Amino acid sequence: MTIHDADITKLTEDLYSWALRKVPDDTKAALSAARERETNETARRTLNMMLTSARAAEEKDRFVCSDSGVPVYFVRIGTRAKWDANIKSAIRAGFEHLVETIEPPLLKHVTNPLTLERGYAGKDMPIVTYDLIEDADYIEIVCSPKALGSGRWAAMELFTFPTMETIETFILDVAIKAGSQHCPPVIMGIGIGGTFDYCAKMAKEATLRALGTVNEDPLLAGLEGRVFDAVNALGFGPMGTGGDTTVLGVHANYAAGHGFTPVAVCFNCWINRRTRARIYSDGTVERLE
Amino acid sequence: MTAPRNLMLPMSREDALSLKLGEMVTLDGPIVVTAGIPTHQRILDGIHKGEAPPIDLNHAAFFHLGSYSQEGPDGFEVLYMNPTTSTRFNTMMPEIIRKFELRCVGGKGGLDAGCAEALQDVGGVYLSFLGGGAPLISASIKRIIKVAWEDMLSHYRLVTMEVSGLGPLTVAIDAHGNSLYDQLADGAQSKRQQILDRMAEARGKA
Repeated sequence: MTIHDADITKLTEDLYSWALRKVPDDTKAALSAARERETNETARRTLNMMLTSARAAEEKDRFVCSDSGVPVYFVRIGTRAKWDANIKSAIRAGFEHLVETIEPPLLKHVTNPLTLERGYAGKDMPIVTYDLIEDADYIEIVCSPKALGSGRWAAMELFTFPTMETIETFILDVAIKAGSQHCPPVIMGIGIGGTFDYCAKMAKEATLRALGTVNEDPLLAGLEGRVFDAVNALGFGPMGTGGDTTVLGVHANYAAGHGFTPVAVCFNCWINRRTRARIYSDGTVERLE
Repeated sequence: MTAPRNLMLPMSREDALSLKLGEMVTLDGPIVVTAGIPTHQRILDGIHKGEAPPIDLNHAAFFHLGSYSQEGPDGFEVLYMNPTTSTRFNTMMPEIIRKFELRCVGGKGGLDAGCAEALQDVGGVYLSFLGGGAPLISASIKRIIKVAWEDMLSHYRLVTMEVSGLGPLTVAIDAHGNSLYDQLADGAQSKRQQILDRMAEARGKA
């Protein structure tokens, strides 16, 4: 058996549709835990409304947010998977079919950055990155639609031989600049090192890690804990109207580089749109989240 | 926990002046919504040319909400609705607030000090909506009164509708010039050094 175009098209279309209607389970658990800890009454009520909204979206099959973002996929191809498909065009076809058939219809958010015209299609849409998984006999695809609300507050700076203090100060200042704007409580993704392009990718991929998991690298685990406490101490709170809960999770990745060290910080808003599935060589689909 | 105050729209000046930062309210009555920069620009162009907008904005509740509207056999319906980032409209809002003496504006993420000043001048407030609250916010729609500027993208159109129990919404800028956003940003700035010191201390222990 082999994975064909139609399998990829159907799966990527489904992943997008699911992402619009379901807040991931780990995120709901983190919101719920934050609600228990939160000392600000308005913030507690806001967290409660978030959980109510997430539940209503699932039960009534509604979009959580009116802004469906732009389609972003992460495709990881198992080196033992059997496939015979034009994956790139199959994903594009999936999004086109989604736009034509999804109920309720999507708003036009795909924007030409040169003319500011908005529509359902555009150059290089959907945005897809590819990677390989050694020895796996499946293709794993993550869909994480991205919108302006949290997307525009990401930042990157390039340092030379920075200390941990320099890195953490930069991260905190990015959080201060984002302030009340990015639909907190957010998930922060941090990339350190590598090259300019690779660093941004690491930061984004860090946001996709499950909340509540501990970083395997002790240095990064330390950084994640310190940044988590620091950003929550800023006081912006849920929806940025004050409280103890500005961030639900801080996830960092690093890569070796040269002495010039990029540091990238990005955010996912509280709904943390993310769906993930594997498609095996026999066409079986396993939805992971 | 006290229940959020339920207020009738159009909001009276007394109600607007009585609202306190952090207080939660629900709203009943007519609201006007849009999520478009071109929409704000067209409103401003109208002001400059002396033309009234197609929907009366005087003392209105004017919110930065994106909505999907479509025309059906019984007229327009809105399928879903949710707030958008208000700070995009910072430079355009003071003139609109003052011209129409808007009693309440809202969306998510807040507005800047210039807008807070304009709200204070006319006795208006900014209300923070729940981002990612489409199922809850859309459920408050009772009927669509009018959809104007249909030539625009759905979420850019100027739409007026009747809502019931819209919210809870958080009073984030009051009618007296106080802004939670400014207070929180100032607070974060003033805590910054102390927080950095604590991070340094924690790194030392690691």
